[in-house]
Amino acid sequence: MLALKNISYKYEGTNRTIFKDVNLEFSPGKVYTIVGKSGAGKSTLLALLSGLDVATSGEIAYNGENLAKMNRNKYRARQIGMVFQSLNLIPTATALDNIILSMNISGVGGNKPRALELLKTMGISPEKSNRKILKLSGGEQQRIAIARAIAHNPPLIVADEPTGNLDKETESKVLKIFENIAHEQGKCVIIVTHSKRVAAVADEVWHVEKGVFRRFDGTINLPQTQKRRKK
Amino acid sequence: MNVAFLLNHAVLNLGKNKGRNILLLGITFAIITAIVVALSIFNATNVVIDETRTSLQSAVRLVSQMQAVGGGQNNTQMIAGNQSQATFTAEELANFANSQFVQGWDLQESPRGTEGIFYLVNPAMLADFEAELRSKGLPENYAVRTDEAAFASIVAPVESLQNLAMTFLVVVVALGAVIMALLSVIAIRERKYEIGVLRAMGLKKQKVAFIIWAETVIITAICFVLGLTAGNFLSQPISDNILAGQLSNAEITATTLAERIANESANGGETPNISGNLQVDIAINFVTAAQILAISLLLASLVGIISVSQITKSEPIKILMERT
Repeated sequence: MLALKNISYKYEGTNRTIFKDVNLEFSPGKVYTIVGKSGAGKSTLLALLSGLDVATSGEIAYNGENLAKMNRNKYRARQIGMVFQSLNLIPTATALDNIILSMNISGVGGNKPRALELLKTMGISPEKSNRKILKLSGGEQQRIAIARAIAHNPPLIVADEPTGNLDKETESKVLKIFENIAHEQGKCVIIVTHSKRVAAVADEVWHVEKGVFRRFDGTINLPQTQKRRKK
Repeated sequence: MNVAFLLNHAVLNLGKNKGRNILLLGITFAIITAIVVALSIFNATNVVIDETRTSLQSAVRLVSQMQAVGGGQNNTQMIAGNQSQATFTAEELANFANSQFVQGWDLQESPRGTEGIFYLVNPAMLADFEAELRSKGLPENYAVRTDEAAFASIVAPVESLQNLAMTFLVVVVALGAVIMALLSVIAIRERKYEIGVLRAMGLKKQKVAFIIWAETVIITAICFVLGLTAGNFLSQPISDNILAGQLSNAEITATTLAERIANESANGGETPNISGNLQVDIAINFVTAAQILAISLLLASLVGIISVSQITKSEPIKILMERT
């Protein structure tokens, strides 16, 4: 579905190399997590995958097509759902408006009942759905951001620390939703995280350090939750 | 995604950031009101000048060249024939008035005798009328003249008012454009993050610009209606006030002119007909309203262009990273 071929990335105007010759492949129907220290380039990778930024060299292919040559507005609007680390909701709009806006931009059309249903699934009541973002808690905002990312039913979902503000119970619910989206709806979910609990639900976990991506295998110290599950 | 969604989003946006939008609404309202006042006065004075020109320049008298003040210039002050010279009989004047170029005529009794005033169908027919009068036997020492001096004296204060209105209009439009452009830049800066989010979600630059432009146009349309109403109420008293000042100057000019005529004419001069109650009726007609709407939309579009240029400068990732 999504393939990185010899991707290198340098910040504009500097010599600081973030990645060099990275090759990765993401398939539909799977949950991927990318773990690593802060500043390792996890969010930059998501920016490249979501077409918000362009690699210094190499190619990102989406269903065989070079992303750099695609209409990236259309790609972002229709093919991808993004959960940003800083959420990036429109603060002056209501939760419902944020969801409907995403539906409209993607071209599927604003569907209020579906938006309300989606928010309800995320634990946002209809009363809270009509509140402005600034009047909701951090955890609620995070759930709205997730709802917005999946509202237009995109085949690819990228999420940057999507559960950072959530309590364990809500985190489990949200992770279950991501798992369902991937395993039951056949979508590709890529999550950047520091959380072992999040990494534990992934079909593939990738670790990035100094611009080098390595897949977790038996030799690598897996997160606790995943170990327990394997037993 | 269609235009209806973009417009709907623009309308919804107006409800957000009330403080900023009320400020924009107030300033736009003030600008449009000022434009309404200036344009209404300008257009009304145009009508007054045209009507005065038509009425005064259509009124033709037969002037003894001996009495013409200011020499033989066609557009100089004229005085009707004096008592020492033979004036025309009513029959002769009726014969002169019997012309396709004349729509009516009056007999006027003055110390100089009986005078005829001929009202031309159109001031442009003066030369043809004169040629016809010559053929009917009008002596060469009589000129056929319109009352240019009276016209100039009456129109002078109105023209001053018109110039004032035009200057005011230019200043208001120029300042208005600058203020609205500055407000637009500030508003775009304030909304940079929102624009970044919309762009990151895949909304095209043009569509983001359209939303912002639509918001400005909606505000302008509201201000247009309010400004038109307020301007309509303000135009008349402002015009009357300015005209009153101009008229007092005009009366001094007229008095001076009358004295000059009196000195130069053996039988006394005739004071130009200046009305102390000259009134310019200010009314906003369709043309004025259309002009104001055009100016308002031009300003709104200017703001839109600035918005677009602002948006195209920043990539969404940079905007979002700046915030982070």
